[in-house]
Amino acid sequence: MLSIQVIADVWDRHLITMRTIEHLHMFSIALILSIIIGVSVGVFIYMKPKTANPVLNFLNIVETIPDLALIVLLLPILKLGAGPTIAACVLYSILPIARNTYTGLKSVDEQYTYVAQAIGLSPREALMKVRIPMSLPLIAGGIRIALVFCMGVVTLGGLVAAGGLGTVLQNGIQLYQKDAILVAGLWTGLLAVLLDGFAGMIEKKLHERYGTW
Amino acid sequence: MQTERLFDRIESIQFKGITKKYGEGFAVKELDLEIIGGELLILIGPSGSGKTTTLRMINRMIEQDEGSVTINGIDTKDADPVRLRRNIGYVIQNIGLFPHMTIRENIGLVPKIEKQNKKDIEERVKTLLDFVSLPPEMFMNRYPKQLSGGQQQRVGLARAMAMDPPLFLMDEPFGALDPILRKQLQKEFLKIKNEINRTIVFVTHDIEEALVLGDRIAIMDQGELVQVGPPEELIFNPANELVADIVDNQRKFKHMDTLKVKDLMSPFEDKYVLEAKMEACDAVDEMTDRDLETAFVFEGDELLGQVEIVDLMKCRDRGEKLSELAKPIKTFQPMDSVAFALSEMKNSGEYLAIVMNSKHPVGILVSDEVLLKLI
Ligand SMILES: Nc1ncnc2c1ncn2[C@@H]1O[C@H](COP(=O)(O)OP(=O)(O)O)[C@@H](O)[C@H]1O
Ligand SMILES: [Mg+2]
Repeated sequence: MLSIQVIADVWDRHLITMRTIEHLHMFSIALILSIIIGVSVGVFIYMKPKTANPVLNFLNIVETIPDLALIVLLLPILKLGAGPTIAACVLYSILPIARNTYTGLKSVDEQYTYVAQAIGLSPREALMKVRIPMSLPLIAGGIRIALVFCMGVVTLGGLVAAGGLGTVLQNGIQLYQKDAILVAGLWTGLLAVLLDGFAGMIEKKLHERYGTW
Repeated sequence: MQTERLFDRIESIQFKGITKKYGEGFAVKELDLEIIGGELLILIGPSGSGKTTTLRMINRMIEQDEGSVTINGIDTKDADPVRLRRNIGYVIQNIGLFPHMTIRENIGLVPKIEKQNKKDIEERVKTLLDFVSLPPEMFMNRYPKQLSGGQQQRVGLARAMAMDPPLFLMDEPFGALDPILRKQLQKEFLKIKNEINRTIVFVTHDIEEALVLGDRIAIMDQGELVQVGPPEELIFNPANELVADIVDNQRKFKHMDTLKVKDLMSPFEDKYVLEAKMEACDAVDEMTDRDLETAFVFEGDELLGQVEIVDLMKCRDRGEKLSELAKPIKTFQPMDSVAFALSEMKNSGEYLAIVMNSKHPVGILVSDEVLLKLI
């Protein structure tokens, strides 16, 4: 069994505090990049509807590449370290965020965009003040999916010297230290659950505030 | 970006040879019409006759295929559409308040985009809410879904006034409301109209609304203008059968002398009833839920009078009971003559009365300005 003593010991020996910071650092950069790119792609394919299908199909193909394979594919381009891992996160996360942004923008009731135009909003203002805010609950749903993806991919990053909690797991496996594997695994899982719960809360708030359906 | 005003007041709006087609069908056909600055012009006609299309060509939400629309001599084609629309207040039937914005944000949206000073916007929003009889402290920070239909419609009106436009376009603004609520908002709107003294183009399918509000009425049919003129002219000199039908659809004017209260009343519904022991604040919430402007206070079976939500909101914090606040209201019998009932109401300045069948309320009689003119 895991005693407090064992946990504290593993925690210190494997520098888990530092690894957690690395982990969350990679994760946040990846998520922020994903949101920026994903929302932009979503808005773009909404404004140029002809591009929507090809873009979404392409992202779907990216999505089917196994995560480890994707990281390895990115290695020659981005070298060892956090680069490939962050890039892989982003590549996976664009689809859910872009797709939800696109669906969200499309499902805003015509009535509201019509009124926005009629009271004198320019197309850009209508997008920024009406369509995007009204799509926020759906966009948040996409971000939440991306968040779960990223937690997984960042953990895998340990295999390609990206640092983070994945490194602890990998060391544990190589040195065959069951305790280290268990502590790092549980801690990674707990972090993911906490972050997802937090995101779920935000999503719910957005639904209450902006949701009309 | 602060958009310059296109016009400070409307001298005239001219439709010249306007045609709009959808496929092979004409939505509007060779329309010539002048709207005179300062008037309230009604567009009325059967469904599909081209009213909405006509209205929307003024602010370029629809572009005509042929002809020109000029405002003060400026062809709207030469005006930037965004700038044009910020100079024109627009109100529609389904209101279209943005659900993710508070009432304050909804009303202040265009002023904010125009980068007006925060304080000024706040002041403006308060003034406008006061103007449409919604206490600002109570409503500023609510979301549209927390308001009743009538209250939302008032906010829609306030939003249209935010930029103080010299011209308003209104497309069946009271169309979705029940008849009594509609009457109340019309009455209030009339007051607003006289106060703001702006040019208004108003689409409706309700001839009473048209006759009460309109300075002139334009009757449309199948995309064409059939007749335009002041109410009396349409009533006494209809250009054709259709006009005669529209202005006097129930043949009320011809049978004025034999018309009974029961022919004109709206049915009484339980939702209008409030208990005498209810407190004012609770009544405000209850009336908001039931979408009522006016309610009738009963103590058991006995009618005590009427209360209006506008008054109740003022005395919200004092915990008074409705029994103390109810104002007297006239009652009539179903078989009373309309002429008698309406002139009684006019004399006391009331616009609502209850129709009682012995002891039971069976209807609500709303004063009818048009009929009154003919008495
Ligand atoms: N977007 C559209 N596409 C095709 N036909 C339309 C469109 N808008 C209006 N119409 C047609 O034009 C005619 C006039 O419509 P409208 O101006 O909305 O009438 P009204 O407001 O008087 O009911 C109708 O026959 C309607 O079916
Ligand atoms: Mg219409």
